[in-house]
Parts: sequence; C-alpha cells; structure tokens
Amino acid sequence: MFGRQPVGLAFVSPYVVFLVMIFAYPLGLAVWMSFHDYFFAAPGVAVDRPFVGFDNYTAVLGDPAVRRAFLNILIFLVINVPLTVVLSLILASALNAAIPFRTFFRVSFYVPYLTASVAVVGVWLFLFNSDGLVNKVLGPLAPEPSWLVNTGLAMPVVAIYVTWKQLGFFILLYLAALQNVPKELYEAAAVDGASRSRAFRSVTVPGVRPATTLVVLLATITGANLFTEPYLLTGGGGPNGTSTSPVLLMYQRGIEQGEPGVAAAIGMVLVIGVLAVSLVNRRLLERD
Amino acid sequence: MKRTVAPLLLAITLAASTAACGDSGTSAADAAVKRGPIKIWYSNNPEELAWGQAMVAAWNTAHPDQQVTAEEIPAGKTSEETIGAAITAGTAPCLVFNTAPAAVPQFQKQGGLVALDEFPGARDYIEQRTGERATQYVSPDDKYYQLPWKSNPVVIFYNKKAFAAAGIDPERPPLATHAEFLDTARKVVKGGGAQFAILPAPSAEFFQSWFDFYPMFAAETGGRQLVEQGRAQFAGDEGRRVAQLWRTLYDEGLAGREKYNGDAFADGKAAMSVVGPWAISVYGDKVEWGAVPVPTSQRTPASEIHTFSDAKNVAMYSACTNRATAWDLMKFATSNEQDGALLAGTGQMPMRTGLPKAYPDYFASHPNYTGFADLAERTVEVPNVPNSIAIWQTVRDAYSSSVIFGKSDPTTALDEAASKVDQLAGQR
Amino acid sequence: MATTLPPVGQVTVISAAPPVPDQRRRGHPLRLVALTLGALMFLFPFYYMLIGSLQDEPDTTPAGALPNPGNLTAANYSDIDDRINLGRTILNSGIFTGGVLLGTVVFGVLAGYALARLHFRGRGLLFGFMLLVQVIPFQLMTIPLYVLIVRNYGLADSYLGMILPFAINSTAVFIFRQYFLQLPKELFEAAHVDGAGELTILLRIALPLVRPALLTAVLLTFIGPWNEFLWPFLITKDQDMQPLAVALANYISNVAARATNPYGALLAGACVLVAPVVVLFVAFQRHFVSTDIGSGVKG
Repeated sequence: MFGRQPVGLAFVSPYVVFLVMIFAYPLGLAVWMSFHDYFFAAPGVAVDRPFVGFDNYTAVLGDPAVRRAFLNILIFLVINVPLTVVLSLILASALNAAIPFRTFFRVSFYVPYLTASVAVVGVWLFLFNSDGLVNKVLGPLAPEPSWLVNTGLAMPVVAIYVTWKQLGFFILLYLAALQNVPKELYEAAAVDGASRSRAFRSVTVPGVRPATTLVVLLATITGANLFTEPYLLTGGGGPNGTSTSPVLLMYQRGIEQGEPGVAAAIGMVLVIGVLAVSLVNRRLLERD
Repeated sequence: MKRTVAPLLLAITLAASTAACGDSGTSAADAAVKRGPIKIWYSNNPEELAWGQAMVAAWNTAHPDQQVTAEEIPAGKTSEETIGAAITAGTAPCLVFNTAPAAVPQFQKQGGLVALDEFPGARDYIEQRTGERATQYVSPDDKYYQLPWKSNPVVIFYNKKAFAAAGIDPERPPLATHAEFLDTARKVVKGGGAQFAILPAPSAEFFQSWFDFYPMFAAETGGRQLVEQGRAQFAGDEGRRVAQLWRTLYDEGLAGREKYNGDAFADGKAAMSVVGPWAISVYGDKVEWGAVPVPTSQRTPASEIHTFSDAKNVAMYSACTNRATAWDLMKFATSNEQDGALLAGTGQMPMRTGLPKAYPDYFASHPNYTGFADLAERTVEVPNVPNSIAIWQTVRDAYSSSVIFGKSDPTTALDEAASKVDQLAGQR
Repeated sequence: MATTLPPVGQVTVISAAPPVPDQRRRGHPLRLVALTLGALMFLFPFYYMLIGSLQDEPDTTPAGALPNPGNLTAANYSDIDDRINLGRTILNSGIFTGGVLLGTVVFGVLAGYALARLHFRGRGLLFGFMLLVQVIPFQLMTIPLYVLIVRNYGLADSYLGMILPFAINSTAVFIFRQYFLQLPKELFEAAHVDGAGELTILLRIALPLVRPALLTAVLLTFIGPWNEFLWPFLITKDQDMQPLAVALANYISNVAARATNPYGALLAGACVLVAPVVVLFVAFQRHFVSTDIGSGVKG
C-alpha cells in the first residue's frame, strides 16, 4: 500500500515537511498571484485583488522586453551549458590524476566558486573595461564598442563569467563521480591498446553519465534563474536590454514596481520553459 | 504527478489566503493618540547616523516613558525592498527616516502609511516649515503621507584642476547654457583634463534618470515635474532639448557608456558630476571642486534655476501603535534645533524655508553652501502619482536605448514612453 | 550463514591481468602546462583582488596589477575591523551555515537515499516537486517567504528564521540521490539477503561509499549560506545577529565610499569573506577523493 519499502516515507518525511512548510505556500501563492491583479498589502488592509484570468500572461508574453530577456537567457545557456560540461569533465579528469601540486590546482579552479559575486565582479569590470587589460592585450582586435557595452557581446561575456565562476562546483560533481568509475575499465582499455583520449571517450564519458545529467540539469536551472551576475556586470539590463534576465524583470516588476502578479506570470513562464528544457535534456542523456 | 498537483495547490492556496488574513489590532483612531516606546529606522550613512543617534539620545533623555529604539538600514536600493517586505509582514517600524518620495505612492497603495493629516496641526506644521514646495509632497487624495525632511539640490560639480589644465577658467567656467556646457565638455576632454567630461551612471535602474535627465529637465521647464495633471511632460520641446544635449555628449564620447566602479569624479576620471551637497564629504580633499547650477538652453539667472531635489523624507508606517509619540518625534526631529544639527553635521539641506536666515552662523562659516541653500528653495520632486516606479523605469529604458546607446531617435523614444506613462499615471 | 561482506571502507580489487602501468597516472608534461595556464587564468582575478585590497591609493592601470611596495598598506583591512565586529559576524555566519549544513546532511542524506534506492508511494511525485522547487527563482518567493517566516512563524531576528528557508539544500539532495544511484545494485541485494535494515544499510554501507559525494555536497552547501546576503539582511535588523556577508555588504555600499581607497576597501571586504572558505576547502579537499574504492563486491 505504501510501496515496497514504506520506510522510505519515514526517511523523506522531514524533507517533505520542510518543502511544504517553506516552499509550498510561496509557490502556491505565486501561482495564485499570476492569475490576479495582485499586490502585497499591510496586514488588515482590505484590498481588491480581482481575478484577471490570463491577462498577466498575455501581457507578459507580448512584452518585447520579456521576450528579449528570454532570448538572452537562451543565448546564455547555449554558451554556458556545453562549455561547462566539457570544461568541467576535462578538468575533473585531469585533477583526478596523480599530478604534482594537485592541491594547488584544485584550489585554483574552485576559488571562483567560493567567492561572492559581489566581490569578484569588480575585478572583471576592471578587466573588460574599454581601457582594461583585455583590450590592451588585444590591441587592434579589441571589439568596438567594448565588451560590456556591445549589444552583441554583453551576454556572451556574462556567460563566460558565469562559466568561470561556477566551474568549481561542476568539477567537484564530476570528481566525485569519477571515483565511482571502476579502475579495471581503464586497465582493460589500456590492455586493449586504447590511447588516453580513446579511453576518455569510451570509459570516462559513459561512466559518468548520471553526473553529466546532473550537471546539465543544474547548469540549466542556475542559468535560467540568473539575476545577480547580469545585474552586477552590466548594470541592470545591459546595453539596450541585451543582458536583461527574466528574473531581473521579475525583480523589477514584482518588488520594485509592486506588480507581483505580473512577476509571478513571468516566473511561471520561466519555470515551464526550464522544465521543458530539462525534460528534453534528460530524455537525451538518459537513454537507457 | 499531475493527479495530486491540483489538490495540493488548492490546499496551499487555502492556507495562503487564511495566512493572509492578519489581525486588525488597535484601531487607527486609538493609535493616533497613544504614546509609548517606538522603533525607528534611519540610514547608515555615517554623518546621518551620527545626527540620528544624537537626536534619539536627546529625545530619550527628555522622554523616559517614550523611549525610541533606532536601527540602521542601508540607504541603497534594497531599503525599498526591506520596507515593502516589512509592511507586508506587519513589522515595519513607526518611522523611517529615509523614505524615498518615489516609493511613497506604492507604500500608500499597500496600506502601509499613516496619513499625517489625522494629527491636529500637522498640515500647518508641514506647510509652514517647508513652504510652497510642500505641495509637491501631497498625495492624490490631498493628504500628506510623508514629512518633507531634507533635500540635496542637484548641481554640476566640476574639477577645478582639470579645468585649469585644459585652459578653462576654474573660477568662472562657462557652463550656463547647453551650448556652453557642450563646448566646455569638449575642451576639457581635448585638453587632457580628464578622460570624460562627465560620467553619470549609464545603468538602467529606474532612479538613474534623477541624476542626468531630470535635473536639467526641471531647470529647462522652470520647475515642472515629470508628470503633471496625469500627463507626461517630458516629451515636449524642453525634454527633447535636454535629451539631445545628452545624446550629443554620449555620441562624442564626452560622457561614458560604461559604468565606473567607484566615484568617477572623485577618482579624476570625469571632470564633472551631477549630484547634491552630500557628495562633498565624499570628495573631501580628493578633488578641488567648484559647483554651478545645471545648464539650461537659454541663459537663466542662477536665482531662478530649478533642479531635482533628491529629497529623503520621514514617513509614519501603519504598523505603528504609539502614533502620538511618533508624530511628536517627527516634529522634534525637524525642529529648528535639530534641523540646524543636521545641516551642520551632514551639509544636506533640511527642507525648511529661509535656511540662510535661520542658520546665519553656519552659512557664514560655510559660504560655499549658500548656493545650495538658495537652490533648495526651487527644487522639483518626483511626481506623486500611482505606479511612479514603473513610470521612472519606462522613462529610463527609453532614455537608455535612445540617448545613451544611440539605438533609436530620442524624440520617438520619448514620445512612445510618454504614451505609456500617461497610461500608468492614470491608473487607480 | 552470513555472506562475506567486505569490511566497510575496504573493497579489494581482483583483476585477472597483470597490472599495466596506468598512463593516466604519469605526469604528462603537456597536461601539466595546460593545467598551469588554466590555473593562472582562474586565479588571476583573485590575485588582483588581493593586490587591490592592499593598495594605499587605487591604481587602476594594468601596471598596478603588480605589487608595488610603495603602495602597500593594511589600512583597508584595519578599516573594516573598526567598523564591523568581525568576531561576532563570523560567529553568526558560522551558526547560520552550520545550521544549514546540519539540516542538509542529516535530512538530505535520508531523503536522497530514499529517493534513489527505496520504492515508496509518492516517490515520483516528491522528485518532481523537488525539481520544481529547484527551478523556482528565489526572487519570486522572497516576500511570501518573508511574510510566512516573520508574521506566521514569528521568527524575525532569530537564527532559526535565517536558517529555515535554506535548512535542507535541495541541490544537495539531488546530488545525494545521484550518487546513491551510482552504487551497484548487487551491494544492496547482498545486504538485504543479509537481513540488514534500511537505516543500517544506509549508515554502514552506502554512506561510506559515497563519502566523496558527501563531502562535495557539504562544501557546496556551505557556500550558499556563507555568501548569502539578501535573506539574512531582510530577516535581521539587529546588528548583533547579522552574518558576515550582510555586514560586509553594508560596509561596501555605504562606508567604503568614504574610505581613502573605496575600491581597495571593497576588495579587502571580499578577501575577508572568502578567506575562511578557502582555508576550509584546502583543509578538506583531499577527502574528496576516497582512498581506494575500486568496484563493488567481488569474489
């Protein structure tokens, strides 16, 4: 009646209670808000919050700023996710081997992840400024207008920044997964005369498939919910709105402008979009 | 999963709606005469903090049965979020000494503010202290939901050394008209005075227009607000002229398109800045500064120029139970003596008429502040209309794309923004 | 009769072929060079952060990236120490983060294990809901959560109020689930045959085998609350309760602008915030690789 192993229910019950207590109410409220002309009021104040059906959704989907924000996130994901997967797996493999100064290398790749964005953004701003180090090094190849004020380059720069910053997290995930790839497989491959890259392709990559799914999933979710980084790097929306993210718009509309119903509608659209993309990813990756 | 989601959501929503019903507590009429301990918030800007702490200490000594507990909140953008969340949760303090006028319509809509008119003599007190400018702070329902407290009339600061290096007279720089301003800007950059003539933040936050477009608009129109009588005013000739000036500055590279991490004026990257007297304590000895009123297209005598006020006010929040004490504290904090202490401690202008006459000693020892005191009489505030933040965001987005990044024609962009703003200002 | 279950923590490997030198293990020079370059590129911004925080006058030219002995000072750090009670705020950060770690490790492991290996009614639903929770951005829930925790639960200005929304990190549960999934089925079948209860299996068999994942998840869960600014800022108004990230953010946004070198003060604050994490990390990172795990039960 409770499944084959009902003790599982006991195991998950604290987590379920937590989820219900902390997330169910705000989540339910968010769905509710998206269908009403809602705003937060002081306790005890009688306010009119009429049901407006899909009005918020139509307004949101027709808003060019919102559409642009979703496009921006798509650009971001297309750059960030594959780059993250490839780089983190390669680096994790390299860091897994018995190389000298392993601690130093590991720490150096994780440090960006450990730091608060607020702090490290300043350095990137300095580097990618129009007269910053990067442009000085590139000389005549430097893009005009410069990186962060270039409508075509602003979001890609944000994508690279986030990739750099989050890489440590995903390297860790892969490192832990690599521990579970049986060593005999590598030995067998070596016996078969496989080169190192062949072994990588045939042993490592399939061996960490569940971790790859996790990495893709988490990178997609984190990317879709991007808020701090585009805001800090490009000052609240970027050149002509080309690095605005949907969550930034949610923050503006919901908290700054007091239209949480509209913000919730954007949020719901975002959630549905991300779920769709995640499902597709999962289908592609877990083909067994 | 789908089978159980619907009933789950229903249960949650029911829980949500019951949770949303708060208790009514004391009725407003009772609260208006109650006295007792209260809590206030003020900003953690160091000079204001010092003033606030002294003021609270003075009050507490005189009123042992009506103690005031004070907490700091940062003055930044997050303060609006904190206050909004506190209003919703019913945990807002009695007074917030850093309420932004632009946020007042929203807090009012949330039912978070107390109309000061309910206190006997309040209206007269406000209008007597602040004079004619007080009318800019009345809400559409003809009540005061905020007490105008202090302003920072926005002017053009310029770097005397940078100007001198570029061959411009540092004591009397030609900055009075748009044409002169443009010329001087070109000269200071060409002459190597600084990399940029001026570097206001080019980012898209809704309040950034208060420090580039709006002060000049206020000056150009002789004191008009962004929105008046429910209609956008900024797409007219005056607004277009101001937008065109800035567009030229950006097009010629005299104003920077990238945000500078720090204070561009203090670090010598920009030769001018658009800000109020609070910045003087930041500049300190770093820059030898001079200040002039913002330019207008035709020459205007300095005694007639208007500018943006950058005011911060005191508001009373509906979660307050001991409102009589709160009102008394508001009067105390804006009394002659306390206003003088604020002026002396921070250099910001209390919103009191006739400042130079009220504090002759201060202005005698700080002659370079008399200009600010004079200008403070002619400040223009953000319009007190519904959806004011959405309105400012609309304007900023249009300005950003057409003026700063030159992606469209400023006239069309402003026109489009104006029709959107007309809609927003007309709602509820 | 009890089947021979290898002692926990030691799983031997029996291979049929003679040991072949693992090419992976030799330090290949090209790889080392590439890694070094990568590491330097990764570290450069932090090096610059450190240098910038020690500068007396801000030097934003590229040449300023090199330490200039004439421009070095510890004044930025002492400035912070003056304004912020470092001891108290670090303690608050520690309590906040520690609470989250406790909740995640205890309840998250249980949940991750159950989701991975136990079949119970509603498992799919819970997993789906967990996914949904992950996807929802925090900004959407900030105000309802605030109202919930402050008004309904009455937890303003308390550690519990700070910890509660983060108490069990769903990403960690995801990770636990994923790594428990990777363990071979035979291990559990053998244990079941042995008559072991689920809790015993979890604690004595599964958990030690996923120790790297556990430590990974712990470190990742650490970062969130340690660097979290907005939520503790909303919840705590009492300065004694504020964690380091909030105090530093306040400092950066208001006080730092007045310092002689505001950029340097900001960087000094950032260095202070990141230092404990790096130290912890360096101390524990070798545990992310378990000693010798090999394959599952053999022989």
